[in-house]
Amino acid sequence: MSSQVPSDLLYAKSHEWARIQDGVATVGITDHAQHELTDIVFVELPAKGRHVQVGEACAVVESVKTASDIYSPVAGEVIETNPAVVNDPSLVNSAPYTDGWFFRVRLTSGAPASLLSPTDYVAQIGE
Amino acid sequence: MAKVIAEMLVESVKMELPDVKTVRFQWPEGYDPGDFKTGQFITVYWPHKPKYKRAYSLSSSGLDRGLYEVTVKRDGKMGTSIVDWVEPGDKLFVIPPAGRFLPVFDPPGKHLICVAGGSGVTPFRGFVREATKRGLDTRITVLYSVRTTQDIIFFDEFTDLEKENPRFKFHVTCTRLAPDHPWSGRRGRVTPDWVRSFIDDPAHTVFYACGTNEMVESVEHLVLHDLHLPKEQMKTEKWG
Repeated sequence: MSSQVPSDLLYAKSHEWARIQDGVATVGITDHAQHELTDIVFVELPAKGRHVQVGEACAVVESVKTASDIYSPVAGEVIETNPAVVNDPSLVNSAPYTDGWFFRVRLTSGAPASLLSPTDYVAQIGE
Repeated sequence: MAKVIAEMLVESVKMELPDVKTVRFQWPEGYDPGDFKTGQFITVYWPHKPKYKRAYSLSSSGLDRGLYEVTVKRDGKMGTSIVDWVEPGDKLFVIPPAGRFLPVFDPPGKHLICVAGGSGVTPFRGFVREATKRGLDTRITVLYSVRTTQDIIFFDEFTDLEKENPRFKFHVTCTRLAPDHPWSGRRGRVTPDWVRSFIDDPAHTVFYACGTNEMVESVEHLVLHDLHLPKEQMKTEKWG
């Protein structure tokens, strides 16, 4: 199955995406990740005000078959979280890049150089 | 016949390791799961949290009627609640077995090479139990990757089954043992060369891999790309 990889996002090797606008990154997990996890039944998000580092485990998703940490693809302060995915975790499966976003981070600096372009992420997931 | 979700009593529990527990569910009176098979999984949820479901491979076999056993690692909310809290007399809802991670016992004469990581070994207990109980000529080789010797689930049971069933072999590799640990078995991750060393008749071998995505994909690559075997000879169960 071919996963969606939108061209306007950056990607972490650990399958999170970041949409960066005006110094704020919106973060979620990729279509490939949600497909691998299968039906997501639980999401735990970081507290607002928490400072996260690149690669820091700061959220948890559980699917019917596994529990996984979610790593921040960017560094900065968590300024907003998405209560909709906590109330309805299936949004991560049905709309991973829109309604299924996880949290927003005010960046302490720009996008990390470690983030992948859409092309590089496609190559990583082998599609 | 439609498969029915049933509330089931926990008949017994057994701590396999400090963070791994086997739970035996007792079928309620009149319950009929239909034709379920060794290697399938059941999905469970608490009565007060119907949306929060987790699927676990059966560690019992399809020959075991009247019960289901799952062997659960303390992982996530469900794994933690089961390992830390579930006790005989509790009740959970159980969605009947499903899945296609099935041992090929028919036609006879196959060699099943089963690669497992951590709690990914649980369905293979069912494979070996059924083959042994039925006296099948199917060869089963379990290649089991764990961090340390403290993490081997079913060590005693697999060792006993090896004695009972000469066609079953159980091999462990430890990935994170201290260099001075007295373990005399294999160390290091599952490698294609290690798996290859157990293959003597590729056309009559069926490969199974249950564990992390990385481990499963590595075995898949070996079987499908390096050995050029058909997909029907590779069965996988990934868990993240």
